[in-house]
Formats: sequence, C-alpha cells, structure tokens
Amino acid sequence: MKRKFTFIFATLLFIVACGNSETNETGKTEVLSKEWDEIVSSSNGTEVNLYMWGGDEGINQYIDEWAAPRLKEEHDITLNRQPMNTEEFMQKLLTEKKANKNKGTIDVIWINGANFKNAKNADLLLGSFSKKLPHFQEYIGSKDQNAEYDQGTEIDGLEAPWGNVQYVFHYDSSKIDTPPSTLEELKQWIHDNPGKFTYPNVSDFTGNTFVKHLLIKGAGEESGLLAEEFNKEIIKDSEEYVWNYLDDIKSDLWRNGETYPESLTKLDTLYSQGEILMTMGFNEARAESLIENGTFPESTKSFVLKDPGSVSNTHYLSIPFNSPNPEGAMTVIDFLESPEAQIAKMDPTMWGEGTVLNFDKLSEEDQKIIGNLDRGESVLSTEVLNEYKLPDLDTGYTEWINNEWANRVIEQ
Amino acid sequence: MNGRIGLLSNKWKLRLYLLPAIAVTLLLVGHGMWSAVAQSFQTIDGEWTIATYAELFSNHAFFHSLKLTFRVAVLSTLLSLVIGLVMTRMLYELFKDSTLKILVWIPMLIPHFVAGYLVFLFFSQSGLFSSLLYQVGVLESRGNFPVLVQEKFGLGIILTYIWKEVPFVILMLLPVYYEIDHRYSEVVRTLGGSKWDVFKTVELPWILPILIETAVILLAFVASAFEIPYLLGVTRPEMLPVRAYEWFYDGDWSKRPLAFSAMLLPGVLALLLATFSIGAVQKHRLRMIKGRNR
Repeated sequence: MKRKFTFIFATLLFIVACGNSETNETGKTEVLSKEWDEIVSSSNGTEVNLYMWGGDEGINQYIDEWAAPRLKEEHDITLNRQPMNTEEFMQKLLTEKKANKNKGTIDVIWINGANFKNAKNADLLLGSFSKKLPHFQEYIGSKDQNAEYDQGTEIDGLEAPWGNVQYVFHYDSSKIDTPPSTLEELKQWIHDNPGKFTYPNVSDFTGNTFVKHLLIKGAGEESGLLAEEFNKEIIKDSEEYVWNYLDDIKSDLWRNGETYPESLTKLDTLYSQGEILMTMGFNEARAESLIENGTFPESTKSFVLKDPGSVSNTHYLSIPFNSPNPEGAMTVIDFLESPEAQIAKMDPTMWGEGTVLNFDKLSEEDQKIIGNLDRGESVLSTEVLNEYKLPDLDTGYTEWINNEWANRVIEQ
Repeated sequence: MNGRIGLLSNKWKLRLYLLPAIAVTLLLVGHGMWSAVAQSFQTIDGEWTIATYAELFSNHAFFHSLKLTFRVAVLSTLLSLVIGLVMTRMLYELFKDSTLKILVWIPMLIPHFVAGYLVFLFFSQSGLFSSLLYQVGVLESRGNFPVLVQEKFGLGIILTYIWKEVPFVILMLLPVYYEIDHRYSEVVRTLGGSKWDVFKTVELPWILPILIETAVILLAFVASAFEIPYLLGVTRPEMLPVRAYEWFYDGDWSKRPLAFSAMLLPGVLALLLATFSIGAVQKHRLRMIKGRNR
C-alpha cells in the first residue's frame, strides 16, 4: 500500500507542478512607460528571440550575417533567429495565453495582415510601443499610411513597419518576347499559350493577391475605397468581372484549371521545370537570389501590370504579450528600422526588398546610396514600381476571395 | 518489500502495474482528445454551441471531402489486403527459411511523406517516367503522359498507400499462415476440393480475424493522414485531413472549431468500427479454439 500511496502522491505533485500561476501583468505597463535611454541600457547584454518564417535563404542570411553581429557590437544583444511558420508561433502564443503563461519564449515576431488582426483581437500583443522607437519617429512617423492601417486593421502602435514589397510577375525572357502589360493582355496571352500559366490556390497569400488585382480592376473608379474598410457594395459591382475573368481563363490554365498549386513554392517549382512560363509573388527582387542559386533560368525578368497596377504590402515586427525581454525586443526593432539596416536589407544578394522609411525624411547621403543601389537585372526600376504601386486591401476581401473562389471557380 | 506487494490480490496488482500506463494515456491522449471535443463545441471566444456541427453538415466542401476520403480509404485498404493476401499465399513457403522477406519489407522503412514524394517524382507529368518515355520517343510530348498524380479521383494517393501498406499486410498475415495446420488442406484435397475450397474452408477462418483487424487499422490510418493527400491531391475536393488543416490554419480563426469537428467525426466512426469488429473477432476466435456454436 505504501508504494501505491507514494505513486499517487508523486502523480499529484506532478500535476500541481504543471500549474503555472505566476503573473507579471504589472511588468507589461511598466516597460511601456520607461524612458528610451532606460530601455536601451537595460537591454544591454540580454538575449532576444526573433521568431520568423525561415523559408528564404537570403532573408536568413541578412539576419544571421548582417544584423546579429552588429547588434552584438552596438548593444551587446544576442539575437537568436528562430525559424517557425507564422501560423505555428501564433498558435503557440494563443495556447500560452489560454494557459495564462505570462513568461513565454518569444520576444519579437514577424507578422502582418490577417495574423495581425487575429493577434490584436485575441490580445496577444504587448501594447502600443512603436511610437517609443526613435527611428520610427524620425523616418516614418505615426501619420504614415503604413503606420496607421495594416490591411484594413488599425495598428494602434502594436506593430512597427519593417519592410515593403510589391507584387510582380516573373517570366522567362528567352521564351516570351514582350510580356503582357494589362489584365486584358494577360488574358489574351493565356489563351494563346494554353497550359503555360496558373496561379496558386487562393488559400495561399500569393494566389489570393492575384485575384485581388482582378477585384481592383473590376471596382474601377471605386478601387480607392478597397484599402479602407470591407465594403459589400464594391464587391457587388465588381464580382462579375472577377469570376468571369477567372472562368474565362480556366480552361487554358495549367492542367485545364482542374487543380492549382498549393503554395508559391509549388508554383516556382513548375516554373523552374519549364511546365509554366510565368510565376509571380510579393517582393520585386525575389527572383535575384533564385537566379543566383540556379533555381530560375538566367533569362528570368519581371513585369508589373500597368492596368490595374501592382499591389504593395507592408510587413511588421511586433512584441508578444508574454515576451521575457520586451526592452531587448524594442531595441532590436528600433535597430532594424535604422537607415543603415534598411539600406542593407535592399541589397539583392541577401534580401533585396524595399524600405519602409520615408525617402524624403532620409539624409541626403542615404538618399544617394539608395539611388546608386544596383538591385539586379531582373528587378524593375524604382520609378516604374512607384508609378504603378497600389495599397493592399482590407483583410475582409482576402476572406471573401477565400470563401467564394471554391464555389465559383472550382465546383462548376 | 515484495512481501507487502504480495499481500495484494492479483486483481489489485494488475491494476497497480497498469496505473502508470493508464495515467500517461489519460493525461496526454485523454486531455488532448477532451480539448479537441471541447473546442469543436465552442466558438473561438469560448462560448458553448452546436452551431459548428450544423454548419459542417450544411457545407458542400465537407461532403465532397468526405466522399473522396471514403473512396480513397476503402479502395486502398481493400486493394492492399487483396494484394497482400495473394502475395503471402504465394510467398510463405519461400519465406520459411529465407532472408528474402527483407526485400518485401523495404517499403516499410520509408516514411509516408517520402513515399508520396517518390510517387510524385516518378509519375507526375514532368516526372521520370514521362521524361523517359518522351526521350525514347513513345510520347510526342510530356503532356501526353496520363495524369496520375494531382487528379480528382485520387489515383496517386491510392497508389502510394498500396505500395506502403502491402508489406504491412504481409507482416500481419505471415505468422498466421505458419500457424495454420496444413494437414487440413490435404484433407480437403483428398476429398476432391479445389484450391479455392482449400482457401475457403481452411485458410479463411484462420486469417479472417487478422484481416478484419488489419482493415480497421488501415482504414483509420488512411482516412486521417495528412501528408500524402496534401502532396498528391488536388485543390478541390481535398481529403478530410487537408480540409481540416486549411480550416485550422485559415487566416480567420473563427473557422477553427470546424477543423476539430471535421476530424472528430471520422475519429468517432473509427472507434465504433474498432469496438464492433474486435467484439466480433473475439467471438470468432473463441469458436475457432473451443468449437462453440457448432
């Protein structure tokens, strides 16, 4: 009997030990009311865990080989990049929230759009911190469009802009002489080259944005309203254009539109194997590193649609509610928003994406450096990109496309 | 020490020794199952509701997925069983004192995801077989290769499962074949029975329980595995696990309860199937051993 008792006692002890009721709610507001100098000095010598999508070698290289050593030197902060898909660390935070775990393992997360909306609604973020960052104040400012709304969700200082990318199409210039420049020309090109074009399933971010371009075209003069709150009236007017267009091209898509690549990676694979002649995606300089490592043919070039234009997208850095080191997290985010870090990020051999800093607010010297940057053969000029740049739409449209697409396009 | 334990009756001893296993099962599996059930009945804000199930049953995508899942699971299970049975019958004499059987079990060493990828590499339209046929001139273009993966019927998925599960069926059946008293077979033959008669009257009663058990395992596995349908399936209809995954990781968290309820239903079905079939199999076994009911 003694053994049995010991065993039950041990089990109980184990269960009790599992509970975690320590709270530091007060710590949270305390950090946000501290002076900036105090925040920087108390982050000295700490470790910061940055959770981000790890699927791109160039991006990883930028963090590990450019940012981490400089942070160590300037602030004595050890930056640990933890590769994890956004959905997964969001799930981790949600579980920790439910379990009242107030001391987590994540200091900085890389999010935007629907994930930010979910995080904001579920109260998974630390609080309004971006206004505290000196670089944010100096080069971006809270009046900036990118600092106010993230795909229709009000930001309220809960996240700080990190990068801006634009939607471009990539094509093999050895097989296509002149790429289409409007949606109508694209449709004609698809009819002329059956089986050589497709777009990812709309549950994928890239595929969804492809359809958003149709929505913008269909909305015509009202398209300016799409970046604001989700509006059923605009959809009513433009949905006919969207579904007619997709239905029209369906039979000439890859595999007759019976199936669609599940992800951008699969679309890229089809392109690199020559099964299709075009791929697409956010980040105007995306092809550079893929050409360099031999995935894409060297003749790969890019184009944007002049009508309706190309959707741009801003992504952000934020701090979770249970970050063990919020001071360190803020110092790191401020560092990543410095002109130095943002310009290095534009280097095509690493990441190659656009900056979130306001060009006019930069020093003349920095403006010159950006002007002289060689972003690579496959990247369109900044003038062209800026001329056709469109803001991203409210996440409500993402969901609308997600829900309707299967019924209207697939099950017919 | 032992003396004290010895004072316990056997029944209590058994329960005590099983306690760690039961505790772990209840704590880990039980808690996981419970939170899945709870979350399927809750909105994302934690309110209790049955709206999720109502929505599920009025959802076309769900029924298309269910149909495909059923077809793929039943077809791959039946075909694996038949092929595995035929192979065991042909090979068990040979395997008796040969190391050749290792060859049959090689596919078991390969993870399902890798197996799916191999099928994709070999059988897709830009795959190795189509390239080979194109190079030797049988095909005019690689696009003429039949579409075997990523098509609506689920051929590629079924093919992968058959290749992976046949060795498992053989592994399950071989020991039973060695147990069968083959003098009975000779009796049937002396009395003028055909090969089919031998199978029907001697072998089938012996292997039936194990066939049913294997079928339940395979059905439950195929209907709930994610990686192969994700890799080799089409956008719509998708198999249930893929459907549930999409609901779970959708940008919109309000769809998460749907993911739980969509996976719970086949889980409950599999549990019922297992309970009934194991009950029936036990009866059959008793009859085989003691000759009851005849």
